[in-house]
Amino acid sequence: MSHEIASAVIPRDEALLPASHPWARLPGAGLALGAVGLVLAVVTGRGSPEGFFAAWLVAFVFFLTIALGCLYFVLIHTAMQGGWGVVVRRVAENAAATLPLFALLFLPVALGLHDLYPWSRPGAAAADALLRWKRPYLNEGFFFARAALYFAVWSATALWFLRLSHRQDVAPSDAIAARLRRLSGPLLIPLGLTHTFAAFDWLMSLDPRWYSTIFGVYSFSGSLVAGFAFLALAAVAMRRSGLVPGAVGAEHFHDLGKLLFAFTVFWAYIGFSQYFLIWYGNLPEETIWYRQRLEGAWRAVSIGLALGHFVIPFFFLLPRATKRNPAALAAGAAWMLMMHLVDVYWIVIPSVPGRAAAPGILDGAALLAVGGAFLAFFGWLLRRHPLVPVGDPRLPESLAFENV
Amino acid sequence: MQSSADAYDPVAGRPTLILGGQDFHSVTEVVSGVIERRTPRGWWVVFALSLCALGGLAIGVPWLFWEGIGVWGLNVPVGWAWDITNFVFWVGIGHAGTLISAILLLFRQRWRTSINRAAEAMTVFAVLCALTYPGIHVGRVWVAYWMLPLPNQMGTWPNFRSPLLWDVFAVSIYGTVSALFWYVGLIPDLATQRDRSRTPWRQRVYGALALGWRGSHRHWRHYEVAYLILAGLSTPLVLSVHSIVSMDFAVSQLPGWHTTVFPPYFVAGAIFSGFAMVVTLMVICRWAFGLQQIITIRHLDYMAKIILVTGWMVGYAYGLEFFTAWYSGNPYEVDVFVNRAFGRYAWAYWTMLTCNVAVPQVFWFGRARRSLPVLFVVSILVNVGMWFERFVIIVTSLHHDFLPSSWGYFRPTMWDVACLLGGFGLFFTLFCLFVRFAPMVAAAEVKTVLPEASPHFHREGAPTPPAAALLPTPSGTGFGLLGEFDSPATLFRACERVRDAGYSRWDAHTPFPVHGLDRAMGLRRSRLPWVVLVLGLGGGFGGFALQTWVHSFAYPNVISGKPFFAWQAYVPVTFELAVLGGALGAVLGMLALNRLPRHHHPLFESQRFERASDDRFFISIESRDPRFDAHSTPDLLRGAGAARLEWLTA
Repeated sequence: MSHEIASAVIPRDEALLPASHPWARLPGAGLALGAVGLVLAVVTGRGSPEGFFAAWLVAFVFFLTIALGCLYFVLIHTAMQGGWGVVVRRVAENAAATLPLFALLFLPVALGLHDLYPWSRPGAAAADALLRWKRPYLNEGFFFARAALYFAVWSATALWFLRLSHRQDVAPSDAIAARLRRLSGPLLIPLGLTHTFAAFDWLMSLDPRWYSTIFGVYSFSGSLVAGFAFLALAAVAMRRSGLVPGAVGAEHFHDLGKLLFAFTVFWAYIGFSQYFLIWYGNLPEETIWYRQRLEGAWRAVSIGLALGHFVIPFFFLLPRATKRNPAALAAGAAWMLMMHLVDVYWIVIPSVPGRAAAPGILDGAALLAVGGAFLAFFGWLLRRHPLVPVGDPRLPESLAFENV
Repeated sequence: MQSSADAYDPVAGRPTLILGGQDFHSVTEVVSGVIERRTPRGWWVVFALSLCALGGLAIGVPWLFWEGIGVWGLNVPVGWAWDITNFVFWVGIGHAGTLISAILLLFRQRWRTSINRAAEAMTVFAVLCALTYPGIHVGRVWVAYWMLPLPNQMGTWPNFRSPLLWDVFAVSIYGTVSALFWYVGLIPDLATQRDRSRTPWRQRVYGALALGWRGSHRHWRHYEVAYLILAGLSTPLVLSVHSIVSMDFAVSQLPGWHTTVFPPYFVAGAIFSGFAMVVTLMVICRWAFGLQQIITIRHLDYMAKIILVTGWMVGYAYGLEFFTAWYSGNPYEVDVFVNRAFGRYAWAYWTMLTCNVAVPQVFWFGRARRSLPVLFVVSILVNVGMWFERFVIIVTSLHHDFLPSSWGYFRPTMWDVACLLGGFGLFFTLFCLFVRFAPMVAAAEVKTVLPEASPHFHREGAPTPPAAALLPTPSGTGFGLLGEFDSPATLFRACERVRDAGYSRWDAHTPFPVHGLDRAMGLRRSRLPWVVLVLGLGGGFGGFALQTWVHSFAYPNVISGKPFFAWQAYVPVTFELAVLGGALGAVLGMLALNRLPRHHHPLFESQRFERASDDRFFISIESRDPRFDAHSTPDLLRGAGAARLEWLTA
């Protein structure tokens, strides 16, 4: 354990983003990038609606899982009464608070429903007995109702936490801290359930004949990797840019690195479990999903994913020194974000028959569009409130924290 | 009853974990007292009952070997029933011990220190119970060694593509690593027992087992790294072992068995039932042995929360399986789940749901989590439910699969019952022996969570220690000088002074590892991780090479249509052997780097040094050190705050 907890506090003004700081221009930059991306995507995707909507879905899921991953961190850290991570928690809260935006970003997916999801096409259920069987679940109305529920639950959870956390900045109170602690745990239940079914709806039903019980957990594991990678990058960036000096240090990088490592391994465990059990059982109704991803051009991507999303980061993030070094951690985190993108791409694109395997300008444009919006909103949230939860009773513990 | 206004730990900034104003010595007394006092009568009662239950195995197993598996209720189609249910049940229980020891350590949950020793013991015994069942269920037990990859004149090799063989490796490696983890943790506490022993036999036995541990910080340095590495290895081990056990079912094509969520679902269930067993045991033990201030209501509260969380994960998996069975549109899948809920085993299914999903919800309420009767009853019901879960998974899927002509029903025989009881008997017998003869609380670790364990703790108004007694000049060049200090804080500062004075042949001795003493002594980081990495990778490569050679060269056989080089199927055993290599590397490497066992050392000649494993802190400086001087060295220690000085003559 660390030194005796100093009554170290950070005055609220020191924790605010200065208006002259480069990061204050994030909202504008994000909007600009987003607009450019959107226009480019529409222009390049004009001729192929399937391609456009698939690219959008990839970008949408990629950034959504980052926001969800950050929300999981916030809730789990608080429920477990963690101390070390309080100093980086506000960044995660802000990322999670972008979740309402994703309801808006979901519109293209909704527009592209028929292009992306075979079960939604008129006459599809009539022609196929299996789709008829699934119709009570896989029908447009219920699909949209569920989507609305997901965004409602996610937004409510993230905003509830952010609101209470902000209130603490102004008037620190044990009552608020206790409420956050008590309710963070239970809120994970609707979050986990909605995430699972969102993964089923938006990703698994791209191939409506296929199913896997672990699919929700797989999406969850990817989102934890993405969340921690984003958080690590943001923490390093915060320190590099001189914001709230002295707050985030090697000890926090070390812990973020450990968690990134652990969840990378967890992702590999879940991903391999799914693959392995389907390979071993060898039932055609299940193996089809992997056959699509292991034949032709996709074979190289699958191998690359196994190596790049697991083997390489395993050995890279293993040494203690790497995790404590901000440059190394940032490189590792950036790599993991890229690998997460490959993962999402690998899940979505092979199931969209009209799409070629190779990524193109369209995919980049969609990423810019969604990412620009995400960055803009995130940047706007950063400007409004302190970058560190100054009123949290465990902040001094977090500042004084030392790894063993 | 714990009050809401708990004492506050100023170092950790949280409520104190250990109650009653304990200090290092009182912790030693409370924990060692359990072993040193006369055996309570209740222990004899429980031990006798356990031995009786163990009779179930003692009689049932020889009869089983003599007559054959037919004495059980197994039939076609239900070829697995209570035997494998018991196997999975006990392996599952074992996992909580590793979780408490390893995963809670990685998450820096300091409250684990009060229960981890008992939980680790529970793991070792549960794994032994678990291994019994696959051991006895093979039929021709006299050729059970065929499961091992031993070269033989028949030219046959085990089938590495079978999950049943992965179980052999996974569970035995899990047992080995858990035993190693348990034993390594015990070493400092065995040293305490050795130092407190008043009879020669106790001293010899505890002394032998303690390997000559003398609390040296140079040893603690490697020890802490080994412990952390074992924790880091045990965590994926827990996940992999129960995942491999789940693969006994999941790799098949049977509806109700073949489903991808099984690995994490089984792991969550294992932790769920294991924690319930720990709660059951701790509620009894803390009351029976007066450990309420060390295993407090707060500890039970946390365990109850974990039971609630893992219960929800299990419930999530139930719901998900149900939904996906429908969603799949596969009529056999749908049928299996309808049959589970409404068929001939519905009574088992609803027992399972009640005990696993409904009952733990009471733990949402703090009053329930902190009530001993509720904790006891709920923990037992959870274990009943989890036993039924395995029974439901195994038997309902087997008795009612694809073709109606293959349907059947299983009824247990008295020998099934005998073997079930025998398993419980074995477990409780071993646990009784454990609490009687071994320190059931990790006293050294508990001491580290007391506020005064921190070298930066300053007790207000602490009395200045008496000036160190004068020393007679030594008669010859003995081993060196021993200085005694009364707190980690004084020791820490003294070490800095000794380091700065340029000494090299010296050491600090503490009953528990003092945080930051590495730096205070100027020690480098331990090289142990490299040993672990090399041996771990070696184990993994060795395992993969063995399997490849067996299936591609030595005995190529087409099994279930898989290619000869089925690398996917080699992953489980490869992983397990890598972990075993790493664990052996950590333990043997740590012992080698510490040059242990070393049962004789000049330090043991000192009477006061017995307190080094209790509540006192020492610095020893060898006379071989170039800067050693019969006058300035004692002056240095005296000036640094040593309460006592002593020449070591041996």
